[in-house]
Formats: sequence, C-alpha cells, structure tokens
Amino acid sequence: MTARPTVDALRNEFRAELARVTSARDLQDLRDRYLSRKRGALPALLKSVATAPPAMRPELGRTANELKREIERELASRRVTRDAPNEIAGGVDVTLAGREVQIGHRHPLTILREEIETIFANLGFEILQGPEVEDDYHNFEALNMPPEHPARDMQDTLYLDGSIPTASDRPATLLRTHTSGIQIRYMETHEPPVRIIAPGLVYRRDNPDVTHSPMFQQVEGLLVGENVTMADLKGTLECFLRLLFDPDTQVMFRPSFFPYTEPSAEVFISCVFCKGSGCSVCKKTGWLEILGSGMVHPAVFDAVGYDSERFTGWAFGVGIDRVAMLKYRVEDNRSFYDNDLRLLEQFSY
Amino acid sequence: MRILVSWLREFVTIDASVEVLAEALTMRGFEVASIEPLPPLVNATGEDAVLDLEITTNRPDCLSMIGIAREVATIYAQPLRWPLLDDPTPSGGNAGVTVTIEDTELCPRYVASVAQVEVGPSPAWLSARLKAADVRPINNIVDVTNYVMIELGHPMHAFDLDRLAGGEIRVRRARTGEHVRTLDGETRALQDNMLVIADAEQAQAVAGVMGGADSEVGATTQRILFESAYFQPVSIRRTSKRLGLSTDASYRFERGADIDAPVRAMVRARALLVDIGAGQPTGPIVDRYSTPRDVKHVDLRHARIEQILGTEVDEAFVPVTLEHLGFSVSPIERTKSGACWCVEVPTHRVDVNLEIDLIEEIARHHGYDRLPSTFPALVRPPVPLDAELRRQKLSRQILTGTGCSEAITYGFIEQAAAAPFVDQPDDLVAIANPLSEKFAVLRPSLVPGLVDSLIWNRRREHHDIRLFEIGHRFRRTAGESIAVAIVLTGGRAPEHWSDEVRKTDLFDIKGVVERLIEALGVTARFEPAAHRVLVPGRASVILVSTGDSANDNDVIAVGYLGQLAPLLATARGLPLAGDGIYVAELDLDVLAQVATDRTRMHVTPLPRHPSIVRDLAIVVTRTLPAATIRGTIQAAAPDTLINVREFDRYEGKGVADGHISLAFRLTFRAADRTMTDEEAQQAMQAVVAALESAHQAVLR
Repeated sequence: MTARPTVDALRNEFRAELARVTSARDLQDLRDRYLSRKRGALPALLKSVATAPPAMRPELGRTANELKREIERELASRRVTRDAPNEIAGGVDVTLAGREVQIGHRHPLTILREEIETIFANLGFEILQGPEVEDDYHNFEALNMPPEHPARDMQDTLYLDGSIPTASDRPATLLRTHTSGIQIRYMETHEPPVRIIAPGLVYRRDNPDVTHSPMFQQVEGLLVGENVTMADLKGTLECFLRLLFDPDTQVMFRPSFFPYTEPSAEVFISCVFCKGSGCSVCKKTGWLEILGSGMVHPAVFDAVGYDSERFTGWAFGVGIDRVAMLKYRVEDNRSFYDNDLRLLEQFSY
Repeated sequence: MRILVSWLREFVTIDASVEVLAEALTMRGFEVASIEPLPPLVNATGEDAVLDLEITTNRPDCLSMIGIAREVATIYAQPLRWPLLDDPTPSGGNAGVTVTIEDTELCPRYVASVAQVEVGPSPAWLSARLKAADVRPINNIVDVTNYVMIELGHPMHAFDLDRLAGGEIRVRRARTGEHVRTLDGETRALQDNMLVIADAEQAQAVAGVMGGADSEVGATTQRILFESAYFQPVSIRRTSKRLGLSTDASYRFERGADIDAPVRAMVRARALLVDIGAGQPTGPIVDRYSTPRDVKHVDLRHARIEQILGTEVDEAFVPVTLEHLGFSVSPIERTKSGACWCVEVPTHRVDVNLEIDLIEEIARHHGYDRLPSTFPALVRPPVPLDAELRRQKLSRQILTGTGCSEAITYGFIEQAAAAPFVDQPDDLVAIANPLSEKFAVLRPSLVPGLVDSLIWNRRREHHDIRLFEIGHRFRRTAGESIAVAIVLTGGRAPEHWSDEVRKTDLFDIKGVVERLIEALGVTARFEPAAHRVLVPGRASVILVSTGDSANDNDVIAVGYLGQLAPLLATARGLPLAGDGIYVAELDLDVLAQVATDRTRMHVTPLPRHPSIVRDLAIVVTRTLPAATIRGTIQAAAPDTLINVREFDRYEGKGVADGHISLAFRLTFRAADRTMTDEEAQQAMQAVVAALESAHQAVLR
C-alpha cells in the first residue's frame, strides 16, 4: 500500500470543486475547506503522517506537502483577478510578466564566424582548425617569408619566451599572425584538389585601440586545383561578400602585395554606411577595404611539394572583427573582448 | 613616399588631372593615401600637389620619382625622360681616395668620388622640393645626396674627406667591441656581423644605415667624399633592427637597391653639385664592383597568363607594357606549345624572378576590374563537418541553452591572474616581447579571463551572470589544449513575481556540466578533490572512463568544478561580500577521446510495460557521500532498477546530530512483463537490508 491513493483522491476532489467556483465567495469557502488550520482537509492529512506506518511516512509527507503547495498556488492565482472588472472565476491577469526563460547569447564574433563558415561550407569548403602557437616555418618560411624578409614587418609578431611542445616535431615559438599555418599543414598531408577555410584567433603586436587589437579572429580560405584562376577568386569572393553584406554590395579588386600570393589583390566593398556616396567611415572614397587575397605564390607550392605548373590556386584572408564592426556598427573594436552582457544580449541566439 | 607632382612631370608628361592620376596609380597597386594641394613652388608653374603613396615592400624601385614616373609612363603610354646623366668631369686622373672592400658579400659594389666644396644652404627650389618630400634640408652637400635619393631612389652619403684618417675607405665588418657615434649623436655599440665604412683607423659610418658624427659634413668642410654603394639587404635589415635605427637609406637598402644605380646616382650627384654651385669634383669616379651580376632572363608564355588570370590578354599588350616598365622583351617565339617571350629583367626590379612576377605586371596594368567573375568547378565531393568543430558547436548550443552567454577573452593575461592556475610558476609561458604587463603570459586556463569578464559585468549593474568560453590554453610542459570554461554567479533564475529569488550554488554549475557532458555522449563521475583555485570542500574533479569497464585505471580527469576561492576574485577587483562564484573548466581535447558521436545513435525501443516507483527515506551519517549510497542501492537491487536519484535531503530537528535524512526515488521496470507490487516490495527489502548493513542506515 502507498500514500498515493489518499492524496490523489483529495487532489481530484479539489480540482473538481475548483472548477465549480463562480465567485469570490465560493473561492473563500473552498480555501477554508482545504486549508483552514482547524477544519481544513490538508492540515488533517498532514497530521495523519505521524500515525502512518513507517514505510509510508516519507512518501505520504512529501506528496501531502506537494498537494498543499499546489492548492495554495491555484487559490493564489485565482485571487489575483478577484477585483478585476468582468471577473471570470478562475481567470488570471495575463498582463503580468511571464516567467523568463534564460537563454545565453553566442558571441557576435562567433555568430559572424559561423555565418561565414556556412557560406563556404555551402560552396563545398571544408572547415579546419589549428594551433594558435606556431613554429616559424609554418607561420612565415613556408609562406615565402624567409627570416629577415621585410614583409615580416607587415605582421608584427609576438614571440614566446622559449618554446612549447606541439603535435609535430617543431616546437612552437610564436603566436600565429594568421591562420595560414593550417593551410600549409593541410597541403603537406593532402594532394590537390584543396578547398578549405581556416577560421581562428590570430595575434599581432598591436596596441589595442578603437580599430586595433592584439588578438582578432580571422578566416582564411584556400582553393587549389587544375584550371583554378583569378577570375574564379573574383567570382567566389563577390558571391561571398554579397551573401555576407547586402545583395547589392559593389566589390572592387585592387592590386596589392602579400609574399604568399601573386598576383595579389585587396578587396573593397561599397561603403556600408553611405552606400558609396562618401562619408567619414570610408574617408570619402565610397569604399571599405575588407579582405586580402591573391593567387597562391609558386614558392608556397614548392614548400609543400605541389607541382606549381600543373596546379594553380587562390587564397584569401578576412578579419572577422572588422567585418563585425562594419556589419553591426560597433564603434570600438575592444568592446568585443569586454564581454559586456549589455552588448552580448543585443545579438540573437 | 611623397611625390611632388611638378617634380614628377620632369620625367613624364601627364595630361590627366591630379585626382585622375591618383586613381590610376591606386588601381595599379600604389595606393594614394592622400592628395595635398600645394601652392606653386619656386621654379614651377600652375597648381601643384603632393601625393602620399603607400609603396608595398616588394617595390623599392618605386621609392623614387623615377620609379613612379615609370609606372605613370606605362599607364599613359608616354616615354620616360631621365634626368641629365652626363658626368661633369671626364674620367682619368687621380681619384684622391683609395677604396678597399674587405667583405664583398655584404658590399658587392662601392662607388666613391671626391670633390672640393663650399658648404652653405641649398637654393630655395631644392630645399622646397626636399621639404615637399618630407626631408629636412641640412646643407647643400647633404641635400644633394638626399635629392638624388628621392629622385633616383638610391641612398648616398657624404663624408668630410679631411676627417677620414689616411684619406681612405675600408668597407669591413665591425671589430669586436667597436663603437661609432652616429649622426644623431648616439654612440652605438657594434657587433662583428655589422658592416661599417671605416677609414684607416676606425669606423666612420654604419654602412647603409647612418653616417658617423666624426666625419659629418659641416660648415668648415672643404673636401668631401660621396659614397654610392650597394649593400646586401639582409645584412642591412639585421643591423638596422639590432641598432633600433631605421633610416631612409636602410629602408631602401633592406628592400633591395638597384645594383646598377650607384654610378648613375654618383653622376647625378656630381652634376647637381656643379649645377647649384656647391662644388667641383676633383677626380674621376671610383667603382669597386668585382663580380658583376648576371642579367636575369624570364620566359613568359602567353597561354600561362590566361591560365592564371582566367581571361585572355591581347598578345600585343604584353611586350608594350613590359617595355614601358623597363623590361627588354624578345620577339615572340611560336612553338608547338604556344607563344612565348624571353624577358630581360632590369636591375631595378629586384622583385621579378619568375614568370608569375611578369604575369602580375600584366594583370596590374591590364586592370583587375577587367577580370571576369567565374566560379571554380567542384571536382571533389564535400566532406562532413569536422568532429571537433561539431562538438564545439554543440557545446555552444547546450551552454547557451542553459542560460550562459559566450565570452571571448584575450589569449594572454597578467602574470598575477595566471599564477594561481599552475602548480609550478615555470609552467606559465611568458611572451618574449609583450605589449604590456596586462598581456604578459599565455593563459594557462580560461577561468581568469572569464572571472575578469564577470567582474566587468558586476561593476555594470549585472548581478546574475552566466558566462562561458571555448578557447585555447597553454602550458610550458603540456603545450596547447582546447577547453571550455563556465562561470556562474547571482540568482539561479531570472527574478519573477511568483517565485522566491534563489542564489546559484554548486549544484547549478554541476547541472550545467552534466548537461554538457551528456550532450557529448560521455558518462562522468564527480569526486571531491582539492583544487588550488577552489574553496576547500566545495570542489570536485570530473572523471570519465576511457574503457568499457569500470576499472579505475581507465579513469581520467577531464576537468574540475566548484566554488572559486573568493580571494581570487577580490584580487581581480570584485567588490567584497558578493555572491559566490562557481566555475568549471573541461579539457575538450581529453573529452574528444571519450566522446561518442550521438548523431550516429540508434534509438532504444520505447518500454512496453509500466514502471513502478518506490520512495525510500533513510538516516545516515552526514559524511557519507550520496554516490556511495546510490552504489549500494544499485548493487543490491535487481536489474529491473532502471533509475535511482535522491529527491530530498534534510538535517535538523528530528534527525540526530551528525546525521542526515536522505530520500531516494527508485524506478523499476522489466522489459518483458508488468512488474508486480510483490516484486517491487522484495527489491525494496533487499535494498533496505543492504543499506542497513553497509551504512547503518535507519529507515525513517
């Protein structure tokens, strides 16, 4: 035998009577009958716990208390509307605040990174991650930047005091300045065709200010195969940028220099603020620089053992922080790393 | 590079407006950062302007008027006009100086000549041009060398010849312990891999970087020596970096000067000296160039241009463009495999060594805007999302679902914030060249960054805070690993008018961790264990089993959870007397070893028979872990017991001191039949008996 039948019977009885309540007077009567300390059914039930067989006591006590709380809750919610006009017995004030379900927010840089990942995944790209501490070879040398190359100044590097072990036989000595090392490792172990993107945090020796951060998120892309051309790079990046910004975004390619690509191109979009008419953000040019790209330099293919005559390829790199600043109109880059909930909670889940 | 347009016009005819010119240069890879209009300078007519150009590191040849003029000439198909390069003094006679290159590797070429001079200010037009290029006029001799550098791109230096001991130049490596006082007044300690220009006795200049103060040309100088040399780029860069001294000269030399420029620049400087009445060369030009470089030739295939660019470029366009840029192009050769040119690379183009370098020249001048937009063919089936990324994505879903918002904190932190998280201080990885003390060491844990973010929010009117981060951690011995960390504080749920406010406690963070671990398909065990950042007695290690057996040897720790030691938070600036902070950190790399891929799961058929629930309350000693009691229950019950969990815990009145009352709910179900009350009753009796004998439990 358990305590359940007694308690369940009383519950059913109460619910039936509650359904028949039509006035405040009825409600008070019902309250007296169940909860009154002298005559109420619940206090009586709770008293009986002490005299029940020991095996039944815990369950009886618990279920009786549960029922008591349930009845109190039901009666309280009816009472709230007692004085409301057009009172309906058993009604509640639906204008009271709902019980807030707490859901956390993804970081805006994650939201954007996953958006970019989705676009490229849909274009058939594989998404890869890699270590944030790198050896000099994978961060620079294999990318056509031998020691003492002046282009190393373009990426002021943070070095480790000493080195730390890695999965490979080259210990890490620096914080990666770009995610290109992931691409080198992939090419070292995979034959073309290659179609990958490499998102991740990168580090540069830049003092934090409104537009600079010593750490930021980057997505790099690499496509290698036969008959891969710069026109393909242009078409793919135009498609990407129009999906990421507006479908009517104008895209401009301009010659530039990176040691690991040739020909190299800086890519601009029509200013998201003024739509190209000229404003303070685009310095009256109507254009915003958004990413760097180019055809993979043959020296990079040589470093990973690809036949640079047979295979061609292109690569690009985009800073997510900058895109986020433009897209969400965040004025200070540093605010991404304060993790202020007043900012985070503005973003969708 | 600041380009004075009126000066540029001396070398090439420009019909376009300054704005159109700027746009054309920008679209060929020379970004014009600004256009500064200028009133007409001396010796010039019409409106003038200075274009501030960004020159990429591969184009040192364009750190000059002539270099930019060459690009402009190519854009507008105009001839390039060189400045007059007639030497004012015929060759022959006594040079007036001896030049010895002791290290031809670091200095393959050294050109020198001497002159009688009258030091004074430069003419106004020359000073004005230097100022427009952002070079400070000093005196007519130094100004001539700077003028030639801006115009032809080749750095020069002038020595006071009478200050050079023995009237000679020795190009050699610095001696151990040697010092030189440079023009900026600093005394520089030299290293023996640095190249110096010395006289018979001592170093008089850091080669290619800066001249020495002792041989500086000043008001009393009467005889000078002009230097126009070529220095090895890597050596100059190393020296400049090591001395922390970057100059207009070192900037050009380290990017690569033109090995044929020294004589040309010398001739120009001597002519200018005479032109402005500053002096007269007194001897012929000395040119020490023992091993002339081979001329570079690169083959360019017409078809390859299209293979790279994805568009056909007119055959006639190629040689015309390259010739304008200073290349010599052979007549086209037609073979079975297609049309091809043999291209001779001019010495000023140090960046051109391969066919692709020539294709870039064609692409730049053909115009990126004329490239079509196409899509690459998909030649291999796409691959599924990487398992690690999928786990990170899932972790984010679960954690946001439990009310935690995602933080991203810096990968490097203060030493003091990091230190409590490692057992040995030398397990921290310091940054050799940190930006500041705030970014001194790589984070050994994600928790300190999250605690800082939590405090940031606490100071900004947030009290109920739930944050998580997925990121990389670093240790000297263990290397890099990926982790997830969570911090909770304040109320357990958002305040609501119907409920009492309840504070977050350890079981909230445990609940979050249990959800996360379950989502990753891992079964974990929690055991009390001290942790250096946690409150004693409120700390748990999170253990997972790597094998199927319950063998303890296969159990590894994936992380910890508990209440953060309050001193750690106050040390980071948290106001005292706040709510407790609960933290957890799990190693995702270790979890990956035991995670099961739940996307590949198969469902368990739904039960066909009802279950029976029985409750049980016992009094046991307070120190007995609930997990132990659960273990006893599970061991004693038949395998129809499908679930056991505690639902009430009570201590106080009615329960003896040092004891607690714990209530368990047991659920029984058989797969093949409806269980009877008797069966459940027997099971309960066995459980009660086991609890009594194992733990001296007393039934309530």
